Amino acid sequence: MNKTETRVYALSLGLTFLMLVLSVLLFFLPGRSIGIPLLLSHGLSFTVDGFRKIYALVISFMWFMTMLLSKEYFAGHHHNIRYFVFNILTEGAILGVFFSSDLFTALVFFEIMSFTSFVWVIQEETEGAVRAAGTYLAIAVIGGLSALMGIWLLEKCLGTTEIARLYEAAKAYREGNSPALLYTAGALILAGFGAKAGVFPLHIWLPKAHPVAPAPASALLSGVLTKSGVFGVIAVSCGIFREDPAWGTAILILGTVTMLLGAVLALLSIDLKRTLACSSMSQIGFIMIGIACTCLLGEEGGLSAAGTMLHMVNHSLLKLNLFMCAGVIYMNLHELDLNLLRGFGRGKHLLQAAFLLGALGIGGIPGFNGYISKTLLHEGIVEASGMYGRLLSGVEWIFLLSGGLTIAYMTKLYVCIFHEKPGKEAEEFQKERSAHRPKYIGGAAGAALAVSALILPLFGLTGNRLMLRIAGLSSEFFRAKMPEALRFFSLENLKGAGISALIGTAVYLLVVRKVLMKDGRYVNRLPRWADLEEIVYRPLLLRILPAVFGWIAAVFGENKILTAAGKGVMKLASFAARLFGENRLLSPLSKGLLRLVKILTRAASDAVDAVILLLAGTVFRPVLPPSTEQAEHSIFYRLGNSVDRSYRRRGKEAENEHRFARLFYRIRETMRRTTHNLTDSMSFALLATILAVTAILLYVLFVHHFG
Amino acid sequence: MISSAFLLPVILFPILSGALIQAFRIRERKTVRIYTGAVTLLTSVAAWLLILRADESGCVLLKFTRDFTLKLRFDACGRFFAGIVATLWPLTVCYAFEYLEDDPRQHTFFTWFTMAYGVTLGISMSGNLFSLYIFYELLTLVTVPLVMHTGTREAIRAARTYFGFSLGGAAFALISILYLMTGETSVESVQITRIFYFLGVVGFGVKSAMFPLHAWLPKASVAPTPVTALLHAVAVVKAGVFSVIRLTYFGYGTDLLKDSYVQILLLGLSAFTILYGAVRAVKEVHWKRRLAYSTVANLSYILFGVFLMTEAGLQGALLHMAFHAQIKILAFFSAGAVLHQTGRAYIYEMDGLGRKMKVTFACFTVSAIALTGIPPMSGFISKWHLLTAAASADTPFSFAGAGVILFAALLTAVYMFTMVRRAWFPGKETELQKNENVREAGLFMLIPMVILAAGILFTGLFPGTVMMHVREIAGSVLAAGGEF
Repeated sequence: MNKTETRVYALSLGLTFLMLVLSVLLFFLPGRSIGIPLLLSHGLSFTVDGFRKIYALVISFMWFMTMLLSKEYFAGHHHNIRYFVFNILTEGAILGVFFSSDLFTALVFFEIMSFTSFVWVIQEETEGAVRAAGTYLAIAVIGGLSALMGIWLLEKCLGTTEIARLYEAAKAYREGNSPALLYTAGALILAGFGAKAGVFPLHIWLPKAHPVAPAPASALLSGVLTKSGVFGVIAVSCGIFREDPAWGTAILILGTVTMLLGAVLALLSIDLKRTLACSSMSQIGFIMIGIACTCLLGEEGGLSAAGTMLHMVNHSLLKLNLFMCAGVIYMNLHELDLNLLRGFGRGKHLLQAAFLLGALGIGGIPGFNGYISKTLLHEGIVEASGMYGRLLSGVEWIFLLSGGLTIAYMTKLYVCIFHEKPGKEAEEFQKERSAHRPKYIGGAAGAALAVSALILPLFGLTGNRLMLRIAGLSSEFFRAKMPEALRFFSLENLKGAGISALIGTAVYLLVVRKVLMKDGRYVNRLPRWADLEEIVYRPLLLRILPAVFGWIAAVFGENKILTAAGKGVMKLASFAARLFGENRLLSPLSKGLLRLVKILTRAASDAVDAVILLLAGTVFRPVLPPSTEQAEHSIFYRLGNSVDRSYRRRGKEAENEHRFARLFYRIRETMRRTTHNLTDSMSFALLATILAVTAILLYVLFVHHFG
Repeated sequence: MISSAFLLPVILFPILSGALIQAFRIRERKTVRIYTGAVTLLTSVAAWLLILRADESGCVLLKFTRDFTLKLRFDACGRFFAGIVATLWPLTVCYAFEYLEDDPRQHTFFTWFTMAYGVTLGISMSGNLFSLYIFYELLTLVTVPLVMHTGTREAIRAARTYFGFSLGGAAFALISILYLMTGETSVESVQITRIFYFLGVVGFGVKSAMFPLHAWLPKASVAPTPVTALLHAVAVVKAGVFSVIRLTYFGYGTDLLKDSYVQILLLGLSAFTILYGAVRAVKEVHWKRRLAYSTVANLSYILFGVFLMTEAGLQGALLHMAFHAQIKILAFFSAGAVLHQTGRAYIYEMDGLGRKMKVTFACFTVSAIALTGIPPMSGFISKWHLLTAAASADTPFSFAGAGVILFAALLTAVYMFTMVRRAWFPGKETELQKNENVREAGLFMLIPMVILAAGILFTGLFPGTVMMHVREIAGSVLAAGGEF
């Protein structure tokens, strides 16, 4: 990094640190609300409560940690200032989303966040980055607009978009009205925020954008930006649709599909960051299931609410850790293909320990933070199945299966990077790439990695004391009574984790080792065409719709319709004339009318031409400079020149005086213009006609006389 | 209070001053510029004085019969339109100074351009539909030379199309206006009245580029950029919209039209035009033509608001009229700056230009964000209000229209941000050597652009004043039925 870049980096590091300090201070201050009326015509309003305090803390912590890694990561990269500037802007915007007390304000900051984070995705400017950024932007805009429409419908129905008042307002609205409009609004908002969260079927941007973004940005994209989407989903599901079975079931299904699909995609991927990205999608699915259970259970849904909240926080911290590990690997090798990364982590103890803690955490192994939230989510599902029965028990099994898949793909990554011996190809590649680096990680980055990793077991071991208190703080936002204490390590709860671990081991041994590996190499078994974006979204937007409208344009547009209309009128008129043809009185009348119309249209067309011609002849006469070159080539000029030369020889003319040449040329010009005027004018036409007539007369006379 | 008698001089002053350039054969570049600049600035100051202080009594210029008069009157709605025009005109003239610096026919350009200013003010100040019609026709006449300014075959063909469309349309409008002045508009003849109203809208719809009468607008983008920017994004097309507003709310009145098939038909047409324009813009690769198609779509946003025939609808329409003006003019200015500096007109030629023309493309990015309707830019405010209006109208058609508006916003993002992306993030593989000699545009171009960009952000954050006026206008018009 050059001097300016270092300065900008230092400044943004300072700013993120300041934000961290402020968030800590805010944590201990009492909550309150403020509003800025009239801004953006609608007014913005913010509020601070337990949930928001915690998330502000998580956000500013993550930002600071990734900034610590950034100095080393971005050394040797281009356009770093751009990244740092938009990074800070995004932090501001996302804090705006979380602090907003109504959905309108949330949307405003949500949109700003989408656009500033666009720079993250496109930062590297590789072909893949440009394409992924296009997808990201499209999804962001679709999501934003859809949420805008939903919020606008909501305001129309309920008269408010304030998150804390949504439940009461919706209840009042439902008493007198059909909830159809409310469902529409909710679905639109869900589409908007769900797209950002990465919920199926709008998840397509996620597996593409995360791998191409710089690793610190990927950590934030996956850890925090997706949560801003979740924030909106919670606001709707735990507000407007609390205790609405239909809505809860819909969210449940979407969450289950997202959870399973993400896990499967992660298992199939052979790219480190893509695996982590798909894993994010899967974990969002877990969170969505928690939201669905909270929504279904209403006030009783304390367990799943606590699970949702804690899984959000855990997933943020886990993905911070894992993506930072990926970033450390990437800044050494500039490669993410598992076959080339193989065995890179051997002997790198800090990296290995950090990654292991992250993997154990996300796998939900007892003693680590993921276990706490997954157990709560599981208990939530069990509780909900008491009310809703069969569907939920199916979900419970998929939940355990996805947990197993999580363990399987994390094992795959861990074994590949830290356990397997690198093959010949990989070893040479790694040597060549990291030859110029004295150490694989520097001091600041190492500290950041260590801190982000050590938090995970700390959280995992203090389930009752720390984690449930965090959950308790957010009870106001979820509108649920959070559990005070729980026996996390009871046999019942350990059983769930055990089943998942068994499934995970089985999948790893049977699927990963047998099916997803060939000749000792990891292979991508996902067919290329299996991409929702390529099959559905892009063709629809870029091909089908323009083709339809292009066809319409070809038929109607661009003047053709007027001609067609004119012809149609004429046909109609002549048809009418024929219809009345027998009638002697009407026939001449209609014919006359037809002729009149013809004359009028022609006159109108000619009038237009006349004006244009008039303009072209007067104010728009082309300004042509007298071209000397053309003059010198004319025969008259040359003729005059030879006369000049003979005069000069006789001493009657000065050296540079082209008297005769000019004179001759002027004569020629006059002649030309005269003939031009003659041939162009009406009188010339008359003259020619008269001459022709005379000639004919003479001929006739001649023949008559002599014939 | 300033007497209404002063309205006429403000209209005549630019018209005559423009003509004087031709009459006195002012050819010297510098003289033309100083002269035009002074005239434009003076007119704008005078117009703003009138906007702020003129009384509303009006003055009759000519009296043919009792009802058939030529009358000027400056009411709130007209003031709003005049305010937009009088603010943007000096900026465009400043921009044109640099844009046309190498043009041998600069004097001709400024002649017609200055005259068009007077005529546009005339439209905003006309006191009845007949006067409006006169100025509307005059506007066609003075802007045709501007379209064919470059004198190329293409330009002349475009001018021909424009002229033909406008004259034809105005004829329909005249029929409608004459019916309104002489015919029966009572309850018994309501069907006939609606048909004549439809004819009038079709007539004025030409200038507001409603499908299928939009074809002239993309073609006319061959004109010099100041013309495409000011006339084909603001003055001429908004004059069309303004006339439709006059015809709908002041002429025929909404009582006869609301909830009739005419309203549904027009709502449908404008919704379709929104989609059509946006999709065509996505397909188009010529920068200015793409923006022209975008104008087609955005004008129909305004018309959609107008045809909702509610107070909120009119509010949204007026807001979008003002905000779209500043946004689109900025987008055109950026396109023109690139065209002027590099001669590149196609979108695929923009790769990496953002690094060379930082200010230009920063301004363009602002306009792209605003046009898509992303907060905190002004486009968001008007879009929000249009949507709210559609919701409060509470018919299936208005809901469908709202859906169309949002879908079109997505397409807007597609066609605007492809350019932003190319300019700022060309990608690693792109050859950027051809950009080496590219320079940023001069100050005469940049200053208006930066002012506009700042204006977009400012009105987006603090739309209070504009909102207040719009509310006032819409409230008074719908309460009193509009005296016209």
